[in-house]
Amino acid sequence: MGQKKYRVETVGPRIEAFLNSTRERIGLRVKFEVTDGETPHPDFENPEIMVRFSGPDVELLLANKAELLLALEQLTMEMLRMPAEEHSLLCFDANDYRVLRVEELRLSALAAADKVKRTRVPFEFSPMNSRERRIIHLALRNELTLRSESVGMAPHRHVVIYPSDMPSKPDTASVPAFARRGRRR
Amino acid sequence: MTGMKELVEDIAKALVDIPDEVSVREVQGEQVTVLELRVAPSDLGKVIGKQGRTARSIRTLLGAAGMKLNRRFTLEILE
Repeated sequence: MGQKKYRVETVGPRIEAFLNSTRERIGLRVKFEVTDGETPHPDFENPEIMVRFSGPDVELLLANKAELLLALEQLTMEMLRMPAEEHSLLCFDANDYRVLRVEELRLSALAAADKVKRTRVPFEFSPMNSRERRIIHLALRNELTLRSESVGMAPHRHVVIYPSDMPSKPDTASVPAFARRGRRR
Repeated sequence: MTGMKELVEDIAKALVDIPDEVSVREVQGEQVTVLELRVAPSDLGKVIGKQGRTARSIRTLLGAAGMKLNRRFTLEILE
């Protein structure tokens, strides 16, 4: 393992200052703790910094596929000027939502892979953010007879699994009409 | 006074390169409060983000605050 890029001693105080003022202004009744990363799924995610929330408003953080938790995480990454390729180094969690979500994604990737192998019909996942799509791709990395691709544009971008000898479908359906014009294939 | 102007101001200042040019105007309506955010032209991308993600995150925060205050907040990023 190389040197850690982000450490609690250096970025911790900035994360705390940012989250403290944000939490107070929103009126969120949560506590949080910034710690060194742990890796329950080292093959999938290796966060260097974890931020764990607890308290009565945790449900609000986790509502709507953890929309608020992920919004706070994204703004914190931008505040720290983390480049996109380092975003998996910071992880916000509450009630182990993220840990369980990795397991859920991994299992659904394997179930979908099984189905594609049996039926030879491509499988389309529902839209996911890049971090979740990455977990699907990683879960399938040893499937030699299958291929996974991300298609469409955010927020509709999603993973499709194909038998490896089957050509990809053109993904025009997931691209809005204004963006389709002039696209080269 | 809801504190939402300050919320948007604080977050925007943390994101941009020129915090001195961040300004937020709060326009109160019957049900909705419009927050107009202005930043330096070179910082627009920083508050909008890739595919509008950062702006969407700020709106998510305003949505949560709105639930607490029973009021709707709209964020307008002015160019």
